Amino acid sequence: MCNNTYIPIPMKVEKILSENPDGSLRTFDLSFVNEEDKFDYMPGQFCEFSILGKGESPFGIASSPTEEGILKFTVNRTGSVTNEIHYLNVGDIVGIRGPLGNWYPLEKLKGKDVVIIGGGFAFTTLRSMLIYMLENRKDYGDITVIYGARNPDLLIYKEELAEWDKRDDLTLHLTIDTPVEGWAKHTGFVPTITKEVSPDPSAWAIVCGPPIMIKFTLPVLKELGFDDTRIYTSLERRMKCGIGKCGRCGIGSKYVCIDGPVFSFEELKSIPDAF
Amino acid sequence: MLKIKKTKLNEFIDFLNRDYSVYAPVEHGKKTTFKKIETALEIDHSAYNTSKSAKEVFFPQAEVMFKYSKEGLKVPERNEKPFAIWAIRNCDAKSLKMLDSVFGDARQHPGKDYFKDPYWKQKYDNCLVFNLACNEPLSTCFCHWFDGNPFDKTGSDVFVVETADHYIMEDISDKGKKFIDSYDKAEKADDNDVKVIDELKATAESYLGDKIDTKPLFDKLKKIWDEPVWDEVSAKCINCGACTFVCPTCHCFDVDDEGKDGKGSRIRLWDSCMFQLFTKEASGHNPRGVAVQRVRQRIMHKYNYFRDNYQVDLCTGCGRCVSVCPVNLDIREVIKKVLEY
Amino acid sequence: MINELRSQVKKLLEDKTVDIVIGYGKGSLPNTATPIFITKPEDADQLIFDNTCRNNLTVYLTKDRKKLKKDYKKIGIVSKGCDARSVVLYTVENQIKREQAHIIGVPCNGVFEKKKIQTITEGKEVIDIKVEGDEVTLKGRAFEKKVPLKEVLSDSCIYCRYPDAKEYDTFIGEPRVEVEVAEEFKVVTDFEDKTAEERWKYIEEEYSKCIRCYACRNVCPSCYCNECFVDQNDPQWIGKTPEVTDSVIFHLIRNLHIAGRCVDCGSCVTACPVDLDLRIMNKKVEKEVKERFNYTAGLDINEKPAMVSFCENEKQDFIM
Ligand SMILES: Cc1cc2nc3c(=O)[nH]c(=O)nc-3n(C[C@H](O)[C@H](O)[C@H](O)COP(=O)(O)OP(=O)(O)OC[C@H]3O[C@@H](n4cnc5c(N)ncnc54)[C@H](O)[C@@H]3O)c2cc1C
Ligand code: SF4
Ligand code: SF4
Ligand code: SF4
Ligand code: SF4
Ligand code: SF4
Ligand code: FES
Repeated sequence: MCNNTYIPIPMKVEKILSENPDGSLRTFDLSFVNEEDKFDYMPGQFCEFSILGKGESPFGIASSPTEEGILKFTVNRTGSVTNEIHYLNVGDIVGIRGPLGNWYPLEKLKGKDVVIIGGGFAFTTLRSMLIYMLENRKDYGDITVIYGARNPDLLIYKEELAEWDKRDDLTLHLTIDTPVEGWAKHTGFVPTITKEVSPDPSAWAIVCGPPIMIKFTLPVLKELGFDDTRIYTSLERRMKCGIGKCGRCGIGSKYVCIDGPVFSFEELKSIPDAF
Repeated sequence: MLKIKKTKLNEFIDFLNRDYSVYAPVEHGKKTTFKKIETALEIDHSAYNTSKSAKEVFFPQAEVMFKYSKEGLKVPERNEKPFAIWAIRNCDAKSLKMLDSVFGDARQHPGKDYFKDPYWKQKYDNCLVFNLACNEPLSTCFCHWFDGNPFDKTGSDVFVVETADHYIMEDISDKGKKFIDSYDKAEKADDNDVKVIDELKATAESYLGDKIDTKPLFDKLKKIWDEPVWDEVSAKCINCGACTFVCPTCHCFDVDDEGKDGKGSRIRLWDSCMFQLFTKEASGHNPRGVAVQRVRQRIMHKYNYFRDNYQVDLCTGCGRCVSVCPVNLDIREVIKKVLEY
Repeated sequence: MINELRSQVKKLLEDKTVDIVIGYGKGSLPNTATPIFITKPEDADQLIFDNTCRNNLTVYLTKDRKKLKKDYKKIGIVSKGCDARSVVLYTVENQIKREQAHIIGVPCNGVFEKKKIQTITEGKEVIDIKVEGDEVTLKGRAFEKKVPLKEVLSDSCIYCRYPDAKEYDTFIGEPRVEVEVAEEFKVVTDFEDKTAEERWKYIEEEYSKCIRCYACRNVCPSCYCNECFVDQNDPQWIGKTPEVTDSVIFHLIRNLHIAGRCVDCGSCVTACPVDLDLRIMNKKVEKEVKERFNYTAGLDINEKPAMVSFCENEKQDFIM
């Protein structure tokens, strides 16, 4: 049974944080119930989160491997499983399978400048990567973060954003789609702000967000001179097994769950139905 | 090579039953499927090919992955003997190998236990495959388009030919040899038997339809992914999914929890890329929301994507999809159209 | 007949009475027809019509096929009696405007049920079928068998009272209005004569075969919901396993949904890959609706469908 990949391990809900006023986004800190279940992971990987009786759903790991002992997930409430996750209380036991999928090319990023571009609640695994890089700060060059949401409420990890904003070893550009009173940062869509910020094309770009944001950010990066081999993104597809068996997450001959979720645009170009 | 009298098959199956759980074609409501048998009397040899494929022996349509309750999770125990599968046709025997490349290992992470499917492995590993030659291929059979033929032995441990009054058995694998050598009631097959087999083989081959060279299919498909030919080939498909359910190589599944009040099971169920909901995401977005995209997915997966990953087409030419399709969307016609396009 | 069908279709396309015609062409297997879509007059010669023309072609007007309705203003449909009834059903259920469909009625003397043929030949493949009057010759590789036509026709056809379209725009030949059928509901009355236990046993045995592929639902012209109840997961109405308890529920609910709407085209029976006896329950609900509401689906384009005029306090016990 210990070799059975489909069996979730038990984890305990340690902390729940509501990320926005309407409560549609919540962040859950989970701890391992059994010491022997602990696993290592890398930023960009995901887990299958089980609510017995309801099913499983994949979520990117929002914590960084450097935050020991916990796994963090930020969950948007959309359907049956996510609904049930939102009803969880501190102390509840849930099931987790993972870590699944590949991760951001952190090895390749060593010594390079990095631009992180995120939109909405897809910032989860980007948080993981950012914290990881900040913990190993000397390994990386300049770090630029461009992060946007429809309105200030929908930005996640607000406290951390405020802290990062104060740091001088990273540049943070926050933006919202339309002006709101009291908002002193950028206003405008992420692609527009990316153009304004105009990061140096020798950097590597990691883009993560709603499909529409990705679609319009890509040409901007290309215009700036970024090479497809240096632009990465994380894809989402409906999933079940998470280990390349059930066939659900197929795009071309790849499976998002084992060949991804992280892909370079160079790879995606040759996959017929990636977009 | 050995042979046993047809009238003595019973003894042979009894012998097989001692160390194995034996699965064979059995009639179930006018249709034949592979089921566990106790005696040879239950076997239905009259079916030219079973209505459902042999995959369900190892990958059942619904399978409990674990049960859960307040006490925790429990994987159903399996104390059964290893499986032996009797009278499987070559097209299905080959399909098991394909499924094993998906379930038994991981192309991306070969050798990692984490990516092996335990439910498949515990049934498939150590199983003994008796492949029965096809004396009378049907008009829907097209195994010869994919390197097969009615007397192909790939994928079998023991290759069996049915003659007028005997089953002639040839060991193909070590496992198969070990088993039939241990059976001391068989007769030795002679030169005459070899001649009979050759004759049967020639007759069987003469029944097959025209052969098409499917080698160029892979490149062609890659090229025409975006072309309107797909509208044409998919127009009549009603996305019923029957083709993928009867297919010996289709292996997509859904995972579903059933139960209430803190007790129940997690099960997996066959699923199909022909269904609209297969890829529908919570946001409402559906990457394959239109019928033509789903037909294309099926064809692409079979003759391009799978080959990309495993160097073989995900189709053995068994023809089941051809015979069940309610609108006669014949996958052979699709192949021809694509090649001509 | 076939020449007239072809020339009529050619004409309809030429003078732009219709933009497309859905009809039957020769299939890839022996004795099989396949749906074809014709837009060019010269392609009308591909049309066939005979006992192999099984499908109810009106399915292409609903479900995923809404594009067809959008792309073509006028759609010609080669229709047997049951197909025309589906068009009527779609019209009263507001799925299509009557004027968008051009019903091309063809005289139907029943369609083959492959499953019956297979039983007769004990599974041996039939390569050719010849019909001569009331007799058919089934030819295989090493056999030939003569049987009465009736034995190889679909039950829906044997007991069909409206083989020709009642509602049509063009008819090939002379339509018969209604034919006499003895014991139209024989399959139901035989069933009703059994004890409750026997009935339940039969249902259980039959439905235990179901593999839940939903081919029956997908070929059914009357099943066109955007999201079928079996696919909903929030709430999940029924289990998805092929366990008999789940399957029975699936079929009973489907039966309720097609009550007063099934046109007995038999498509579901043919489509089922495991040969479930689906007709018995279809006919059962048809009979109930007929007895209670004096309503038969797809006959009268001006009559409200029975289930729309269904009241809350109506007795609901009519299924088992
Ligand atoms: C690699 C990956 C990482 C993700 N990370 C996050 C994250 O960090 N935060 C977050 O809020 N969401 C994330 N998602 C999306 C999340 O998985 C879906 O929103 C969630 O599965 C919806 O489940 P549900 O049961 O509430 O919805 P329902 O509509 O009830 O869905 C039913 C089932 O469909 C599947 N499903 C539906 N939509 C999706 C989808 N978009 N992706 C995968 N499976 C789906 C699930 O298996 C689910 O059990 C991620 C998806 C993927 C593939
Ligand atoms: S695709 Fe059709 S012919 Fe090929 S293996 Fe599957 S069922 Fe058989
Ligand atoms: S053809 Fe479709 S159902 Fe079959 S294995 Fe491929 S993706 Fe799955
Ligand atoms: S069986 Fe035929 S109609 Fe049904 S999904 Fe397959 S190709 Fe389409
Ligand atoms: S239930 Fe069957 S017979 Fe009735 S309309 Fe639907 S497909 Fe035709
Ligand atoms: S077609 Fe047959 S097997 Fe498929 S769901 Fe319908 S009754 Fe069940
Ligand atoms: S989720 Fe099952 S193959 Fe990717």
